[in-house]
Amino acid sequence: MSHEHVVIKENVYYTKDHEWAKIENGNVRIGISDYAQKELRDIVYIELPQIGKKVKQFERLCSIESVKAVSDVYSPVSGEIVEVNRQLENSPELLNKDPYGDGWIAIIKAEKIEEEVKNLMDAEKYREYLKTLEKH
Amino acid sequence: MLKTHLSDLFESRGAKMIEFVGWKMPLWFTSITEEHLAVRNKAGIFDVSHMGRMLIEGKDSTHFLNYVTTNNVEKLKQGRMHYSTICNQNGGIKDDVMLQRITEEKYVLITNASNREKIYNWLIQNSKGYEVKIEDVTFEVPMLAIQGPYAEKIMQKIVEIDLKKLTFWRLATCKIMGYETIISNSGYTGENGFEITVWRVPRSESENFIKIYMEILKAGEEYGLKECGLGARDTLRLEAGLVLYGNDIDEDTTPFEAKLDYAVKMDKGEFIGREALQRQLNEGLRKVRVGLKMLEKGIPRPHYEIWCENEKIGVVTSGTYSPLLNIGIAMGYVKPKYDEIGREVEIAIRERRVKAKMVEWPFYSKEEYGRGRKNVP
Repeated sequence: MSHEHVVIKENVYYTKDHEWAKIENGNVRIGISDYAQKELRDIVYIELPQIGKKVKQFERLCSIESVKAVSDVYSPVSGEIVEVNRQLENSPELLNKDPYGDGWIAIIKAEKIEEEVKNLMDAEKYREYLKTLEKH
Repeated sequence: MLKTHLSDLFESRGAKMIEFVGWKMPLWFTSITEEHLAVRNKAGIFDVSHMGRMLIEGKDSTHFLNYVTTNNVEKLKQGRMHYSTICNQNGGIKDDVMLQRITEEKYVLITNASNREKIYNWLIQNSKGYEVKIEDVTFEVPMLAIQGPYAEKIMQKIVEIDLKKLTFWRLATCKIMGYETIISNSGYTGENGFEITVWRVPRSESENFIKIYMEILKAGEEYGLKECGLGARDTLRLEAGLVLYGNDIDEDTTPFEAKLDYAVKMDKGEFIGREALQRQLNEGLRKVRVGLKMLEKGIPRPHYEIWCENEKIGVVTSGTYSPLLNIGIAMGYVKPKYDEIGREVEIAIRERRVKAKMVEWPFYSKEEYGRGRKNVP
C-alpha cells in the first residue's frame, strides 16, 4: 500500500478501525476512511444498519462485503441511528469512490459526543497511527 | 516468510502483499474485480511459484506414481498431463495434483503449496522398493500461468513452437531466453491458457526470471494482459467450479464425495486408498459437493450453513462474489439425498437466511466464457 496515496480528510475524527465521524450540528455523520476502502477494495455489498437502532461507541454497526471478505463496521459514537445512506444499497462502489462524501454510511444522533470524542483521533493523530501500521 | 523470484518485484510495484501458506504473495495488483475480468475477457499473468514441484525419475517411476496417485499413469502419454489425487489409506484426499509426463521415465508432479512438504514426505515414505528418484525442485523452478482468451496470441510471441498444436493438457519443452522450459496448456481459471516452468533458475539468477516475466508482460501489452494476484486466482477457479485444497477437499473427503471421479481409475490395479474407496462405492457417500448460486443479495463464505426446509443439510466450503455474474456463488457439501440441480436452499449469512439454488459448474455460460467459448477473439 506504500505506493498509494491515502487521503486523510481534515476536521473529522477517526477510530482505530478506520471509521470516520463528522460532527454536524449535534448529529454525527459516519463512514469508512480512504485507508479502509483501499484495504477492502472491490466493495460489492453493504448491510445497512436499521434506522432507530441504538448503538454504543465501538459496537458493531453493520457489515461491508468486498469480493475477498466480509468486514464489520463499528460505530465511532454512541447514539440512535436517524438516517442511512440508501444509495449504497444499489451503488456500494460509492464506498470506494468517495468514502468521505457520497459514500457516507449513516447519521447518528449522538448521546455524549463531548465525552466520547476523547476516544477518537483527529486527522493528525490518525496520520501518525497509519504510519505505525505501515511498519508491519 | 518464503519469497518467490518475483515477490520483491511485486512489492516494489505496489501490489497488496499477503502471507499465503508461508509465502509472500500478491493478493491483488489493482483490484480483484479488474484482474478477474481481464482473464475472462483478455488475459492475465500469475506467479504460481508457490506451488510444489517434484521431479520424479527412474525405471519404476510409472509404477510408483500409479501406486501413490488415483488416476491411471500407465495411460498417460509422453507430452501429456492429467489431473489426479493422492489419497490416504482411508480414501481421504492428501492432495490434488497435476502430473506431467515429460519422457518415458521422467515426470513432474505439481502439488498445492500448502501440501508440498507433506506430499514430499509421503512420496519418500511410500517409495521403498521402487527404483525412483524424487526431488523437490520448487525453489529453483519458478512457474508462471498466462490465462485468458488472448493467452495464446501473447505466448506465441515468446515461444517458437506452434501453440495451436498444444491443445488442452498437452505439454512441450522449449527455450525462453536461454532457459529450458516446460510449457503446458492448462490452468486454474477455466480459460484457455498456459503454465510454464523454467529450469532451473537459482535465487542468485532471479534477475533473469524477472526478465522473462517482463518480456511476457511487454508481449501482452497490446492484448490488455494484466498482472493478477491470488484474489483473482481464487474467484476465477471458483467460478470455473474447481476445488481448492483445504477449503473444498481435505483428508476427510474422498474424490467421489468431491465429484472428482474422473481422477480415480478403480480398474487400474492396486493403489493407496483403493480398498477404502471401493468400500465407499458399495456403502454410499457421506456427503457430496454441490454448486450454489445466490438468488438474493448476500455473499456466501466458508463455514456458512446450508438449510433446506428447516433442516441443516450441509455447509459452504468456498464462496465469493462473482465479478462476472455480479452475484454470490459458492461450493459446499450436502447430504447426498439433497443433491439435485435446481433445488432451492437457504444459506445462513449471519442473522439472515438467504435464498440460493443448486447449480452446475462452471457458473458462467460455457458458450460465452472459458476454454470452450464460441467466440475466440
